[in-house]
Amino acid sequence: MALPLPPGLVPTEVAFLCEMEMVTVVPRQRLESIPLLSGKTPALRPPHRAKLPLWLALLLKKQRRANIVAPPWLHSDSLKDIINYETNIDPVAFSPPPPPPMKSDGRGGARPYAQASSEMKPGDMILSPPFLPSCTQDAPSGYLPYHWLELSETLLAHAADDIPNAAEVRTLLRDLQEVRAAKMRGSTVQLEGGGGVLKLRGVGAMELAESRGFVLGVVEGVRKLGASAEASRREEEEERANGGGDEDSDEEMGF
Amino acid sequence: MDIDDILREVDPTFDSIPEDTRDLQALTRAWVAERSSPELLDWPIDGLFERINERIKQQIEKIEEMTGDMDPKTNFALIVIQTELERYKYLVRSYLRARIAKIDKHTLHYLSNPVIRARLSPPELAYATRHQALLHNHYLSSFLSSFPAPLQNLNDTAGNISMIDAPDLDTAVFIRLLGDTRVEGRGTDEDGAMDGKNGDIVILRWSDAKKLVDTGVAEIV
Repeated sequence: MALPLPPGLVPTEVAFLCEMEMVTVVPRQRLESIPLLSGKTPALRPPHRAKLPLWLALLLKKQRRANIVAPPWLHSDSLKDIINYETNIDPVAFSPPPPPPMKSDGRGGARPYAQASSEMKPGDMILSPPFLPSCTQDAPSGYLPYHWLELSETLLAHAADDIPNAAEVRTLLRDLQEVRAAKMRGSTVQLEGGGGVLKLRGVGAMELAESRGFVLGVVEGVRKLGASAEASRREEEEERANGGGDEDSDEEMGF
Repeated sequence: MDIDDILREVDPTFDSIPEDTRDLQALTRAWVAERSSPELLDWPIDGLFERINERIKQQIEKIEEMTGDMDPKTNFALIVIQTELERYKYLVRSYLRARIAKIDKHTLHYLSNPVIRARLSPPELAYATRHQALLHNHYLSSFLSSFPAPLQNLNDTAGNISMIDAPDLDTAVFIRLLGDTRVEGRGTDEDGAMDGKNGDIVILRWSDAKKLVDTGVAEIV
């Protein structure tokens, strides 16, 4: 009964999550709205585009009932820009994630997508991938969304004819994957320091799933090796804080 | 869909997340968090699972009604509905199984004090109690009974060493920030801190990440 999987999402679970991403489809047949648990699907009327979750879009694609519109970031020009950013502009960090989607608030301003106002109220739910529209045709180009690798692999496998320049896109994606895998490996150097917080802005879900075991193993190893040093450091700090006279604070200020 | 729904859809000032999407987001978030966190998290108190189970039940009834109808058009809709139902059921099942795995591993810890015990749902509490009772009885009948009485306990804390195995709360986790916030984490050589931005993925210890996740400015990934 109990789940035998290790903690942390495994790649198949990440792929499952990715199938909830919304994509834009161009229907080839009429299809009435279907009452699903996650809400009613939009009624499909060719040639009007509609947004559907990826799993449903793939089902329709397999039955030749619809074509999938590749998200703007999956075009070869956009991918080239991203590769350029990853290799030349910032060779250490990942390229930034897409900006949070905004929506007009009807009064000339903008507010975060699916949020009643620009101010956060307690109890407001913040949507996060895969529920943000980061793979539809309205997504910004030049930014890789959280599920970029899984989504592009899935589209290339099942809907390659819907992607412009599929062969080129495939090679570009492979380059991108290699550049970013090297960065992921490089980031583990920072883990050795045992600094407490490590930021991986812009990393993708599948990249995390791939290296989760390794990264967590390194962090755990460093923590266990340094456990006694950490304990004595904390004791020292506590002592300093308790016996804190003027000289201590001067010392800290001076250097 | 009536006229109010249509008006709501075009009204830009209206909070546009429908309840179904909110629940799916909440379920997905709970599942991912439970799969990745080192300890058992709170059972959602807002009746999320009651709502979802009720809706799954209704959907199954709808499928049963539709199966009688052999019209090819509803046939395809039926396939779609069933596929989605399986996806929902997978999420719920995987979530519950991940929780059972944690309860099985550290049963006594989760039963040991009322604060931690409150994290379990009533069926989980019943399961954990009964499971532990069976286990203890089995140990008693197979070997514990031949020990001297003071050594028969499974939850001894004598000599400052507790027999109750607890999950390691300093295990590192990955979190995603849902808003701009300051992130502080303890490290071996020095304590780190950084100003995190919306969308950042951060690795830090669960004991440091917990307060961010509890307040909702971060989620586990």
